Amino acid sequence: MPRTTTVECPVYPPFRALTFDALGLIKVIEARGGVPKVVDRWGEPDASKCVLAASIDDRKTDPLLAVARKNGVIEVLNPLNGELLVTVSDFGNSSARPEDDAIVGLHLFRRQRLELTSRLCTLLTCTTKGNASVKTVDISDSPEDSGASKTWNVCASGNIACSQVDGSENYALFGGKGVEVNMWDLDKCTNIWSAKPPPPNSLGIFTPTWFTSATFLSKDDHRKVVAGTNSHEVRLYDVSAQRRPVISFDFRETPIKAVTEDLDGHTIYIGNGSGDLASVDIHTGKLLGCFLGKCSGSI
Amino acid sequence: MGGKRKNSESEGMEGDNDGKNSNKKMKKEKTEILPSSIKNKEKRSAVHAKLKHQKKLDKRKKLKARAAAEKRALELGEEPPPKQIPRTIENTREADATVCMPDDEELFAGNDADEFSSILKHDRTPKILITTCRFNSTRGPAFISELLSVIPNAHYYKRGTYDLKKIVEYANNKEFTSIIVVHTNRREPDGLLIIGLPDGPTAHFKLSSLVLRKDIKNHGNPTSHKPELVLNNFTTRLGHRIGRLIQSLFPQDPNFQGRRVVTFHNQRDFIFFRHHRYIFETKESKQSDSKGKKAKDAKDESIAKEKVVAHLQECGPRFTLKLVNLQHGTFDTKGGEYEWVHKPEMDTSRRRFFL
Repeated sequence: MPRTTTVECPVYPPFRALTFDALGLIKVIEARGGVPKVVDRWGEPDASKCVLAASIDDRKTDPLLAVARKNGVIEVLNPLNGELLVTVSDFGNSSARPEDDAIVGLHLFRRQRLELTSRLCTLLTCTTKGNASVKTVDISDSPEDSGASKTWNVCASGNIACSQVDGSENYALFGGKGVEVNMWDLDKCTNIWSAKPPPPNSLGIFTPTWFTSATFLSKDDHRKVVAGTNSHEVRLYDVSAQRRPVISFDFRETPIKAVTEDLDGHTIYIGNGSGDLASVDIHTGKLLGCFLGKCSGSI
Repeated sequence: MGGKRKNSESEGMEGDNDGKNSNKKMKKEKTEILPSSIKNKEKRSAVHAKLKHQKKLDKRKKLKARAAAEKRALELGEEPPPKQIPRTIENTREADATVCMPDDEELFAGNDADEFSSILKHDRTPKILITTCRFNSTRGPAFISELLSVIPNAHYYKRGTYDLKKIVEYANNKEFTSIIVVHTNRREPDGLLIIGLPDGPTAHFKLSSLVLRKDIKNHGNPTSHKPELVLNNFTTRLGHRIGRLIQSLFPQDPNFQGRRVVTFHNQRDFIFFRHHRYIFETKESKQSDSKGKKAKDAKDESIAKEKVVAHLQECGPRFTLKLVNLQHGTFDTKGGEYEWVHKPEMDTSRRRFFL
């Protein structure tokens, strides 16, 4: 008889989550003290509208949700009812076809309080070939895009796989296959820091760079960055200290697909390709614990 | 001896208890003695055997009573009492949220967009590449030759020392639609890896209970007609995906006149593979004496009572598969994302199945 474990259904704190899938659907899942349930579904199943990246500006009044789809279109929606506010097609370069140069990262900047009436929102996107661009979009009347945009290239060669913007929204970091983690100042569009790979070990073997996920460690401090690689390593970088990673540790055997920071600033959660979720104390690099559960696919 | 003393003590106590019980008319229940509480092995096994015999007699009595009641009801013309349904593990399977519903439009849209849709919509004809792992095996070549006869348009290539990722590249260049790798352990085929191409999912199965054609009694020899495919009991989303993966190995236009059928039957997460030749025969069933004594009625009833039965002759190998993991993309164990991987913490109950 296989060894069985029982999983009790705990009482959840109330939460609301938005999920995006490869058919372009957006589903709203809510849990109000009981079992989470899908309460709403927006969009029609269409594989060309596969959602590649999403970002939310979660304010109390007038929140916005930006969604980047596979056909190159970026949509800005109201996350409370799914109503489509603006569609931005042909973002950034119009030279590259959307299938070749898919959008990898998307960030919707927070709007200042003063701009409540002006209905402008700013988006930062990054594609796999490294074309990053910042664009302001007007969502007042016409659902068409208009507005200035500035584009720059983030990497010379290689593919970008992950991008993040820090809490103060002045700095953005990018990393990917063959691309070291680098941090850019968004106002001046300059590269202020880029990482260096750890030295090859005593056998002379070095693993090629392939960052699959990255995040800033805390909202107010843009100097500490945690990145996960394809070779199941998690590295902590300190921008103000050195270019090599400060701490780096291994986690199981599949690529680290997701890294997020906890609100307390020294715990991170990592998810890998075979569905293992764990929390790590980043100050010591020690694994706090893995989450058991029914998750069987990659995170 | 200690044992004997205990025995006599317990007997004495039992005697006392019985005495007490017979005295006390208030206490009507006899205290049941569990065999597991008796320390003496001989006595314990005797009590246990007695209990089992008693249970067997009770069961036989109940069965007879049920049969008698049913017969009586039929004779009287009434409704027989309802037949009881035995409780099985499949009956009491845990409810799974991912079971495919027939009206699920997301499922159909997903099917249109997945990697097999081009084959299943007759756009591409399946072309299979079969190879092995690097080690020799005793039963491997025989198994592969049988697989070649089961799956039409399958080609066998020797493994050599090629990397599996390189093999995937070569196969893509030569326009194969799937790769099957038969993995061997201790000279015995042990695992099956089905890789969809060009960038299809990779399913890793554990292979067991392999019986080759020559070991099956009264086996038949398969023809080369395109077989009919039967996929049973793939209910959940994962099962549906695996079912489509298997479906994409076979041509989508079966030749029914060839009377050849290949079955993949899923039960409790084990997929049973069988390969049969079938033939339909009509035969008249025997009539009971109580009905239809008149010639006319007899004739009508004989026409009405003709039954069509199917006779099966097994040919080809027989084996069982169990899914170990399903990986998105072609073979890449270290760098790939897994859609489903079996972990021991997922076995929360005996009634939980995933396919």
